[in-house]
Amino acid sequence: MKIVHYVNQFFAGMGGEDSAGTGPELRDGATGPGRKLASLLGDEHEIIATAVCGDDYAASHPEFAAELVARAKERGAEMIVAGPSFTSGRYGMACARIAAAASEADLPALASMHPDNPGIGEAAGTTVVESGLTARQMKDSLERFAAAALKIASGEELTARDGRIGPVARTNRFAADNAAQRAVALVLTRLGGDRDATEIPLPDFDSVTPAAPIADAGEALFALVTEGGFVPFGNPDRLESARATKWVRHSLDGLDSADEGAFMSVHGGFSTVWANADPNRILPLDVAREMEREGAIGRLHGEYLGTTGNGTTVADARRFGMEWAADLRQQGIQAAILTAT
Amino acid sequence: MQADVGLTRMVHEVSELDLGERTSYDAGRLTVGEDTVRDLLQDGAFAEVRLGVASPGDSVRIVGVLDAIQPCSKGPGGGGAFPGLLGPAMPVGRGETHVLRGAAVLAAGYLPRAQEAVIDMSGPAAPLSPLAATHNLVVEWTPAEDASWEDVDQALRRGLVKVAAHLAEAALDAEPDAVEELADPATSAANGKPRVGVILNLQTQGTFKDVFVYGRSLSGGLPTVISPTELDDGAVVSGQFGHPSLKNPTYLHQTHPVVAALRERSDELELAALVLCPEPVDQANKELVSAHAARLCKQLKLDAAIATKEGGGNADADVSLKMDRLEEEGIAAVGILAEMAGRDGTGPPLVVPPTKATALVSTGNYDERMTLPVVERALGRPSIALLDDQASTDEVVLPVAAVYCAQSTLGWGRLTCAEVLA
Repeated sequence: MKIVHYVNQFFAGMGGEDSAGTGPELRDGATGPGRKLASLLGDEHEIIATAVCGDDYAASHPEFAAELVARAKERGAEMIVAGPSFTSGRYGMACARIAAAASEADLPALASMHPDNPGIGEAAGTTVVESGLTARQMKDSLERFAAAALKIASGEELTARDGRIGPVARTNRFAADNAAQRAVALVLTRLGGDRDATEIPLPDFDSVTPAAPIADAGEALFALVTEGGFVPFGNPDRLESARATKWVRHSLDGLDSADEGAFMSVHGGFSTVWANADPNRILPLDVAREMEREGAIGRLHGEYLGTTGNGTTVADARRFGMEWAADLRQQGIQAAILTAT
Repeated sequence: MQADVGLTRMVHEVSELDLGERTSYDAGRLTVGEDTVRDLLQDGAFAEVRLGVASPGDSVRIVGVLDAIQPCSKGPGGGGAFPGLLGPAMPVGRGETHVLRGAAVLAAGYLPRAQEAVIDMSGPAAPLSPLAATHNLVVEWTPAEDASWEDVDQALRRGLVKVAAHLAEAALDAEPDAVEELADPATSAANGKPRVGVILNLQTQGTFKDVFVYGRSLSGGLPTVISPTELDDGAVVSGQFGHPSLKNPTYLHQTHPVVAALRERSDELELAALVLCPEPVDQANKELVSAHAARLCKQLKLDAAIATKEGGGNADADVSLKMDRLEEEGIAAVGILAEMAGRDGTGPPLVVPPTKATALVSTGNYDERMTLPVVERALGRPSIALLDDQASTDEVVLPVAAVYCAQSTLGWGRLTCAEVLA
């Protein structure tokens, strides 16, 4: 089978974070971990090309995946594999998006990542096999990846026994009793000594290590970002007031203040009367400009990024966060002030 | 003075509802006197008030549902029901109360901050709303030109309780279909059964997102203990219109499902207390209120408590923090929460999970989509703003989140989640 293998800029040997903005490209043959993978796949299969994209670019341009898959198909790819991406979030998201785009294009596909990789949330509709935590487990991870790829290439379904992982979906059902009756039954179970009974397993949230403090705020480029439903007056992008599925960006160039009638909040979680009377209360552009003039901050970025944080799913919020971080980093921004409501 | 004081509930079943010349109740048939009800609703905030009827099985969609109330009266003029709004602000929960079971009074239309709530009286969404199983008098209105939205909100709340009391008054002399004796925990003798409390978190986020206890908001206050029978008499009235599926309307406070489930199991457990708590918007006060509520439960010598919430993700913390503090006090904690696991159900289900307690009951995933079929007529609003003003009678695809009370953590519904590989 002719296979195209996806890796990020780091595993393609192009560099680390400094090259994370690199756009998508297709290279001949196997690269980096693809060489070992090719040998594990044996003579019946060939890695004809390596698809590469920088992590920031992939996070902020979701369309990169369909583009690379289309180019791989033109090149004759019969299967696409991506990773292993371990616990690297942007890389994992990119691998999941590539595999999902390949599945969408009716190509057999497989991504490899650790179950804690946040990218797993983007992998619905495709197949993921478990990798180790870090690149130190590259050898074991590649062996499992190759075995899973061989199984898929032969047209078989991958199972949990092969290391298949993936999002578990919680779907609505009717129980026999109402929730109040079930709660009372759970009280009796709990008083009977069973401490584990529950209908909702407690979620594991990933913890994020804060970035190092900036050395000199007076030299740094700052961005304003918000989840306060902050939009240009009239809400031209129709940003949702609740359960947002998207985010918006708008220019702040030439503006000294977020004035009434120029901006507004569409947030559905609080009364927007005071926000609309003075939109600086949501996005503190007036104070940020003052600080810029005083030299307390180096310079203010020329646009803001915003969404509505009201009943937003964690998966969407995580995606927005990764896209924002990648976008801001590509613009050279060193600090972001996120106003939360 | 009676030794064992409680509430006697005289239940009158409603199996038919129509509009007519004068209000009457006879053998399950409730006729609503249109002119009288319109007079009761009259207020400077309204230019016009309209009345509609929606019964179970009707091909009707009610859009923009605000509050819903079960008709309830303790005597002429309400006799003290809905204290602080209709009756004087004095403790209720004793004596006799007449209720029209199977009927409700609803308001449906636009208010700011009110997220559009939908009830389908038939079809796949009907089993998801308690108000799809009641005969509903639906109040619609046009605001007066000079009225503020706050005036409209208050006029609706005052009007709805008046109408609810008026309708129940028609049954004061009728033979009840059932007579239910409801104990007041304060006057019940100790019986050795495990003492279980109900922790009722009430949203306190200002106008259009507040709940009224004896006519007052709990905002800024500490938890307080009332008798469950005070709920039966309408001591808690909702003015909270966010998060449709998570809403706890007055109707569900009056018929509180956890209170009812504990009364059903009174041979095994004792319904020992009802603790009302505000839901502060900041973390420090959430922590204070939660720790204080757990101390109150300890003073009440509870063995277990069931906590519920109103509102979206931030209110998960009001349940989770209380569960953790209860467990620290040695009180078994059970929480009822809705899941927000994303459209495909693969996201983390809770925004703020407990860390020490684990016993949770799920009222289903908020984000799952469902298709609601074409209906013959709509009440409340002609189009659905959430769907770019699609006609209310169209086939529509909506998240469970939009279905009125579908996931109320007061626990009336049977919705829950099961796990499948995505």
